[in-house]
Amino acid sequence: MHRDSGAGPPDEYLEAEIHRLLTEDPAVAEQGISVTRTERALVLHGEVESAHRREEILRRVAERFPDVPVTSDIGVIRTQAPTEIEQLP
Amino acid sequence: MVIRIAAVGDVHLDEDVLGRFRPALEELPGSVDALLLAGDLTRHGTEAEARCVAREFGGLGVPVIAVLGNHDHHCDQVPQVIGTLEEAGITVLEGAGVVLDCPGGRLGVAGVKGFGGGFAGRSASDFGEPEMKAFVRTTTESADRLGEALRSLDCDVLVALTHYSPVPDTLAGEPLEIYPFLGCYQLGQAVDSAPTALALHGHAHHGSERGTTPGGVRVRNVAHPVIKQAYSVFHLGDHLDQGEVSEVTAGGIQQPWS
Repeated sequence: MHRDSGAGPPDEYLEAEIHRLLTEDPAVAEQGISVTRTERALVLHGEVESAHRREEILRRVAERFPDVPVTSDIGVIRTQAPTEIEQLP
Repeated sequence: MVIRIAAVGDVHLDEDVLGRFRPALEELPGSVDALLLAGDLTRHGTEAEARCVAREFGGLGVPVIAVLGNHDHHCDQVPQVIGTLEEAGITVLEGAGVVLDCPGGRLGVAGVKGFGGGFAGRSASDFGEPEMKAFVRTTTESADRLGEALRSLDCDVLVALTHYSPVPDTLAGEPLEIYPFLGCYQLGQAVDSAPTALALHGHAHHGSERGTTPGGVRVRNVAHPVIKQAYSVFHLGDHLDQGEVSEVTAGGIQQPWS
């Protein structure tokens, strides 16, 4: 998702506010999402347990910070059985 | 003598995740002796979310042993969360241990949630404001409970289960600035105070899988975002065949000696 608002580069306080929102907003409650500032946008990356949670993160951030350009690179963690065993003698 | 353990942490269950882990979990009976859950089983620590954990991880046909994580404390419903998990047959450890009789010997698991505090030379001290002293006392009391539980178990293979990390090694990938919120050296000291074979933890989503305590105990970060599979499987014991490699099958894990 990318929002081009024509606004200047997001500042550090905004980055902190979004980072806290991701944990403290009950609709999100994620501690494992990183917020990185680039020249053009804030990039959210990390992994969540469902596609629904990824959509919710983007929705909540866009709702609270409509003018901030945000790019998302959030994955949904795979849940397949392991194919290898670690032997610990 | 081989003890077979499956482990995962930070599964953050709620209704939207129900059923995602179950197909892989149903392969566990016959493949492992126990499943260990390294905390953050829920999103907000509500009783309703704990019921989701009970549905996903209960009735598996293998013993399930868990510690809680910081998320499981968020809504101040810890007794209800523990009650719901235990009704589903999940053992929840907090400063306690359990010994399981497995075909390969007696597996002892001691567990505690743990707490932050930081690592040797860069840690918080029991000094100054009451808030700071309360923080560090939470750290040391938690580590003391883990040490006592580990030393109290009579078993063949001893495993420490925590949510917070006992070493900085398995935090590699996380920003250095937040290490004091991810674990503490006192947990490592507790692990090293007993003949521990393996220490498992979660919490550090951007961390890495492998580490070692200063005393030489292997540490594994089994946070779900780190292992990127439903669970990891470890075989512990002194009669492992080093030449054998586990096989990849369409059905998932296969016993390496089968």
